[in-house]
Amino acid sequence: MAELGRGALVIALGLELWAVGAGGYAAWRGRRRLAASAQNALYAALGAIVVAALVLEAAMLRRDFSFTYVAEHTSRKLTDGYAAAAFWSGQEGSLLLWLLILSLFSAGVLALTRRPARTLLPWVVPILGVVGTFFAFLLVFVTSPFDTQPPPADGAGLNPSLQNPYMLAHPPLLYLGYVGLTIPFAFAMGALLARRTDELWIVATRRWTLLAWTFLGVGQLLGSHWAYVEIGWGGYYAWDPVENAALMPWLAATAFLHSVMIQEKRGMLKVWNVLLVIGAFLLSLFGTFLTRSGVLNSVHSFSFSSVGPWILGFIAFVTAASLVILFSRLDLLRSRTRLESVVSREATFLYNNLLLVALCLTILWGVIYPIVSEAVRGETVTVGSPYYNFFLRVFGLPLLLLMGIGPLVAWRRASLRSLGRTFAWPAAAAVATGVALLFLGAGSSTPGLIGYTFSAFVLASIVLEFGRGTSARHATAHESWPRAFTSLIGRNRRRYGGYVVHAAIVLLAVGIVGSSAYDTKSTATLRPGQSMGVGGYTLTAGRPRYTTVPNIVEGRTPILVRRGSDALGTLNPGQNYYKAEDQTSREVAIRSDYLTGEDLFLNAVINKDGSVHLEASVKPLVNLIWLSGLVFIFGSVIAMWPDAREQRRLATRYAEQPAYARA
Amino acid sequence: MPRTKSPARLIIALSVAGVLAIFLVYVAIAGGTPQVKPSNVAQHTGSVVLVGTVVSGSVRPAANDGKRFLLRDRDGSARFPVVYRDAPPDQFKGGREISLQGKVHDGVFVGQPGSMMTKCPSKYQAAKKAA
Repeated sequence: MAELGRGALVIALGLELWAVGAGGYAAWRGRRRLAASAQNALYAALGAIVVAALVLEAAMLRRDFSFTYVAEHTSRKLTDGYAAAAFWSGQEGSLLLWLLILSLFSAGVLALTRRPARTLLPWVVPILGVVGTFFAFLLVFVTSPFDTQPPPADGAGLNPSLQNPYMLAHPPLLYLGYVGLTIPFAFAMGALLARRTDELWIVATRRWTLLAWTFLGVGQLLGSHWAYVEIGWGGYYAWDPVENAALMPWLAATAFLHSVMIQEKRGMLKVWNVLLVIGAFLLSLFGTFLTRSGVLNSVHSFSFSSVGPWILGFIAFVTAASLVILFSRLDLLRSRTRLESVVSREATFLYNNLLLVALCLTILWGVIYPIVSEAVRGETVTVGSPYYNFFLRVFGLPLLLLMGIGPLVAWRRASLRSLGRTFAWPAAAAVATGVALLFLGAGSSTPGLIGYTFSAFVLASIVLEFGRGTSARHATAHESWPRAFTSLIGRNRRRYGGYVVHAAIVLLAVGIVGSSAYDTKSTATLRPGQSMGVGGYTLTAGRPRYTTVPNIVEGRTPILVRRGSDALGTLNPGQNYYKAEDQTSREVAIRSDYLTGEDLFLNAVINKDGSVHLEASVKPLVNLIWLSGLVFIFGSVIAMWPDAREQRRLATRYAEQPAYARA
Repeated sequence: MPRTKSPARLIIALSVAGVLAIFLVYVAIAGGTPQVKPSNVAQHTGSVVLVGTVVSGSVRPAANDGKRFLLRDRDGSARFPVVYRDAPPDQFKGGREISLQGKVHDGVFVGQPGSMMTKCPSKYQAAKKAA
């Protein structure tokens, strides 16, 4: 079976190479049939890669330990669900997942944009082929998941902390995000090579970019929740280099999704948009590099790896090639119009872009600072949470405010009088919220108070936008209020879906501010019957008890939770001991109050003498972070939902031009 | 016809300059924390991040549910004794890489409770043998 997997990958590599060579030649010389052959090669490569993936997955499920990868990541006691998910628990499998998702995206985009982007596809195919060739090359020649060995009696098993339902969703979602950013990159490069520097490439890939961005955002949020409920340190984001590596392309893609609106509306920022899409793709490759190079001391980086230099080389190649392509087409990328006023919708989008890019670059600087300091000072210097938190406040708070300002400002130019009228209600809501919070004691954290005040401003502006739009439709189209509301969203899905996403970001901000600026922590070692207090709760330890289930000894200490005289129940934090893996895993206990969004978070280590080392924290509003994920998905789906009217309008605007344009 | 000056470029230039200024001020004031190996801890004073591999068989219990162990360079044999007075993360055990924040005074490293970091569980796998 391993030979079948290896052979399928070799075939996939050959097909990807054909897509690059034949596709590139066909686009250059205008050969239709050869271009079609190159496209078919990408479809066929998908087939071969699916075969390779199925071979590995089948070996995982059969616990075929003659596959080295299977023996390293599964065991006979592992449940089938986790054995299936162990596919992406190591380096080789996760690279195969990268290639599989890239092939799925490539085939999907070729099939679905065949008509609207016909002029671009001949150039897009070889670009997609280059990326596919690189990853297929890695899997065939550098790090194969199909290496074999004499089968041991049992495998090493999956690390206990990975035996969590999030393992099924978090890594694939992140990969869908990372890999999905290849699509807008390939179309941007294809458009430049085809000399079609209008907005066609942006329109053709808008939903694909949005899809990748949504996956990347949701993937990160799931990872945060996983860390929160599993690892036991009570946090959800540690500014680890590899966590940052997922955040950076998301920020770049967020800037891109906003700035393309300026290009579509006003024909401005063409070079900037290409740079953003190149940056987002490079950052997604950089994230892949960070986890596999071992150059940085990260929680998530693989310890031993030979693929790091290859990925770094590929990043250098992509950077050089894409910049050469961009500069060779600079004369075609001149803006049709100019910014007329610094107080306009496009100007606020520009500020938004600058802040997002600045945040992204400062995070990047923090990530590579150890490498730079090592090279310059001969000493590795790291920057920790204070560095990132500082810049998150410096750039994040103005970004939050701009989310409320941008949608309310007119395109081209806005007068001060109109601004006064527009912002009166949101500003009043924000000031009222700020003053109320001050009286309620939220002044203990100035950034927290500012964050809440800005959040109130943004929410008020969103409500105002929905209210005004619905009211206008009710008056002009004579529709009932509910009908006016739904048709408003249905006719402007991108805009109102975007506002829902903005609301999600506000929820996220409120949750982060509440749980980080206003949290309470306490630690104590308790014997049975002893109590401790934290954030208004009283916690009383009970006697530890142990139960044994197959492969796991579960130790739990019952903690009676009271608030004042009210008994709120018992929480059972503790530890699991996994016999096969010879490893202990902490099992936190969380009491969520969904009405207030507050969590009581307990993390316990049971001592041999029966006492318990208890870390307790109270995190106000933390559940809004997880709620924001659902709202984020809802808004993204609205913005992505197909719209026949929009398709007709765009088809007219970007009427077919000659199918092949010489480079 | 003379070209009119674009405010967009001015905004971009000023923004970039502003970012750089804030950044430089921050880095100059706050700096970072040196990351040191067990073999060169003694050469430092003040806050450091100690990074190394836990020596297998060296782990013993310590106060506050902590651990007492030896840490060695990732690619060397120099050893350094560490006393960590807090419960270590689940992934902690002999042979694994950790990082630990703390301060060095007169060659003695005092770790900061709660600062020990081990790698994400997905990233522990055996070293591949050279072909």
